[in-house]
Amino acid sequence: MDIVDDLKEIDDKLIKELNSIAKDKTEFWDIRTGVSRGTTLDFTDSKSKEISSHYITECGIRAFNNGGWGFCVLKDLNKKSIIKGFQKAVKLARLSESLCKNKFKIAPRDPLIQEFKTSSKRNLEEVDIEEKINLVKYHEKIASDYSSKIKNTHTLYIDGHVNNLLVNSFNSYVFQDLSFLRLFSKVYTQENGSIQRSANTIGGLGGFEITKTEKAENLSTKSAKEAVDLLRAKSPIGGKLTVITDPKLTGTLIHEAFGHGVEADLVLNNDSLLKGKIGKQVASEKVNIIDNPTMGQGKKFNMPYELFGCYFVDDEGIPSQKTTIIEKGILKNYLHNLETSSRMGTLSNGHGRASSSSSRPQVRMGFTFLEPGDWNNEEIIEDTKNGILCEDFQYGYTDPSTGNFQFKCKFSYKIENGEKKELMRDVSLSGMILEVLNKISAIGKQTSYSDGICGKGGQSVRVCDGGPHIRIEDITVGGLN
Amino acid sequence: MENDYDIYNVANHVFKLIDEGANELIRAEIFYEKNNYINIDIEENSVKNSEIGEDHGLGLRVIDKKGALGFAFSNKIEKKTIEEICKTALKMMNVSTPDPDFYDLPNSYQKYPNVNGLFDKNLKEMQLEDSLGYINTLIEVCEQDELAISQSGGFLSNYSKTYIFNSNGLEITGKETSCSISSHIIVKDKVSNETSFGYEWQSERNLNHLNAFKIANTALEEAKRNLNRKKISNMRCPIILTPKGTLQLILRPIASAINGETFQYKRSFLVDKRNQVIGSEYLNIDDKGIVDGAVGSAIFDGEGVPCKNKKVFESGEFLETGLLHNSYTAGKEGVESTGNASRSSYSSIPSISTTNFIMQNGEMSIEEIREDVKEGILFDYTGDSPNISTGDFSGLILHGNLIVNGEIKDPLNETMVGINLLDLFKNIDAVSREFKIYGSLQAPYVRVKDVQIIGAVS
Repeated sequence: MDIVDDLKEIDDKLIKELNSIAKDKTEFWDIRTGVSRGTTLDFTDSKSKEISSHYITECGIRAFNNGGWGFCVLKDLNKKSIIKGFQKAVKLARLSESLCKNKFKIAPRDPLIQEFKTSSKRNLEEVDIEEKINLVKYHEKIASDYSSKIKNTHTLYIDGHVNNLLVNSFNSYVFQDLSFLRLFSKVYTQENGSIQRSANTIGGLGGFEITKTEKAENLSTKSAKEAVDLLRAKSPIGGKLTVITDPKLTGTLIHEAFGHGVEADLVLNNDSLLKGKIGKQVASEKVNIIDNPTMGQGKKFNMPYELFGCYFVDDEGIPSQKTTIIEKGILKNYLHNLETSSRMGTLSNGHGRASSSSSRPQVRMGFTFLEPGDWNNEEIIEDTKNGILCEDFQYGYTDPSTGNFQFKCKFSYKIENGEKKELMRDVSLSGMILEVLNKISAIGKQTSYSDGICGKGGQSVRVCDGGPHIRIEDITVGGLN
Repeated sequence: MENDYDIYNVANHVFKLIDEGANELIRAEIFYEKNNYINIDIEENSVKNSEIGEDHGLGLRVIDKKGALGFAFSNKIEKKTIEEICKTALKMMNVSTPDPDFYDLPNSYQKYPNVNGLFDKNLKEMQLEDSLGYINTLIEVCEQDELAISQSGGFLSNYSKTYIFNSNGLEITGKETSCSISSHIIVKDKVSNETSFGYEWQSERNLNHLNAFKIANTALEEAKRNLNRKKISNMRCPIILTPKGTLQLILRPIASAINGETFQYKRSFLVDKRNQVIGSEYLNIDDKGIVDGAVGSAIFDGEGVPCKNKKVFESGEFLETGLLHNSYTAGKEGVESTGNASRSSYSSIPSISTTNFIMQNGEMSIEEIREDVKEGILFDYTGDSPNISTGDFSGLILHGNLIVNGEIKDPLNETMVGINLLDLFKNIDAVSREFKIYGSLQAPYVRVKDVQIIGAVS
């Protein structure tokens, strides 16, 4: 594989020199360097707001000593500044060590020497900018022509090509050549003084072919249709109700309300309600939850590309792998990076992820998924006397220390005597996640997934989540009325 | 870290390349920024990580006479990359759509306001070790408390220098410093084993103004106030917003709603409300860009336009002057830019944001405001935010307490609030004289009458 010029500064000679600086002074170190190029096309009402392109180089140097980390961030990729930065990181690790109370060692790993590349049918850099712009204009037009009720349209196209190199004191050398693409569509509608909006996004690792899938081609039509439909939706009634969630909302519930609690850094910080719960029943025994960010899963969902939340290796050079989180209702594993696994006496399961080389890897989810059950979707609805079917979400948030969560659903249908009735908007669901996981009364057969960006500690990473339709008894529903 | 190039030479070179590369006279703007930061993280109530870093880079905006805009940025400032940025920006401009609403980039200004206290020499020159006093204080407060079981937080300082050049002859440079501390403390009740958290933060321009003791103690008190939560029934009652609640339900939503761009796209619930009284007499809000030493102050905005102070709401009236503009939205409306262009870094084109956004305090004390409440809610915060296009808000109270006969009682579990912001503004019936400053936002306690509360007890 060809390594871009800027990364060639990290050669054997430099690594040798770093090792000699590190000797006797630091127990573990790693250097991540990245060179990224990309395009952003931002259109509103068929006019371009931003058409931009970038070239960015960056480098993050980490050193570790007995519980203390030092981290130095640079933008200039040359031997001289990297060595200087390395010396600073070593010094900072010493300082952290002198102040930290939790002493521990990073458990050694075998070196990983490997190169990875995402495959693209149409390389992003070979697609002319005009074709990319035409794609965005097409989505803008589809959305604005959809109905006279459309008030604003917004389409955002982002692509990027990143070359990453990771070297560390385990003698790992991991080079990655990754390309990704994300398309986002948001539509506002207006009628009789009511303003509604709907947004949808798709993303993946690969090339321009991502934009040619059915899901991508229907993106703006979907946003437009939803925003128009929401105009006739009613406001919900509050109270305790039976709720059926669709795969998108199931995924959000699993990621947002539950998943953050299995991130081992939160567990160690006493910030997770799942502390001390490994091996214990935390959900109904029908519940199985995994996190599987390995590559090659696109085809399971008929996507000709790699899923947005998946990766070859994490940002500490640990290969991605399938981790069982809940099996038959019993909590099996937390998600780990090098630090948390070393402290908890296990091996990292590859969840040390950073938003870029300039940020420190944190424990993050990848592709979090609730495994299917044996109900047909129709059966779940027919079997429900009174309740709400909630589809997709606008946003959600959780207090991971208690599991108290709230989600704002995009679409909700009243269910009366097993029949899907009128549409409601802005339905809020709230509850305590461990109570909710014990109140699941049906799990569907058919699964789906969705992708997005997840924020934690100021960093954003690509994630996926999903599962089947599920039914939850007795959940608090709130609305304006 | 000083770089071995002169930004004035780079700028001249860029303008020359743009002149040569374009077929016609176009507008160009260079935004260059460099900064250094120091960061110490506390996790599990102990120092975990010490970090230093630097960034620098250049963003180039070019706009042709029909308003088509191209943008390119890089942090590699050398001959070849600079040439590539110029070429790319022009290429982007050539494929961009024309925009008849584009008026012009700002012209050069004769005079800029005099704002003091934006730069602290101690912060520019500080070493990581200099922040340890603050860190140790945060850790001690948590360590010495019986119920506190963990804390995360830390110290962050930043020094940045900005240069803006445009083809209308505007040329301005400025430097600033900032620092902040934050504390997120978790407590655990010894009997019920229930846990809860509280958080607090402080941002300043000057290192000596940070008060770690106060910040950690506030987070701690807040965490304890939220221990042993109770579910309640539905009710209609007054709520008192704490300063954090005021940020979430009044200041931040209004800041988004008066953004010139949101407004022009008619995505704001305040469209058609200008020059109208829409709130009670207690709703008084200013956007003040040139307050000495304030975190939201600046001499010039993200496009080099001088910052200034302006009124947004007065006695409940949404004023004609209450919209925030950058040069683009101002040009579209045929007014002067209000100096609210904001740029998070060289990698972004200008957007619009508030400077120091202030809800004026009143005359009553917080005790007097509470005294009159027989049964009500103290609202600290939610993870939610109102819908800016409709003004609707329905969100879970993550932190809040019952008020009974003027006293703060049980914290709330699974309790939601539902209200439209226009009703909230009308129903404000008291504002405290006490206030808090969180970075660029200043907020008092605010009492709102007649609010729908949805509880989990049926």
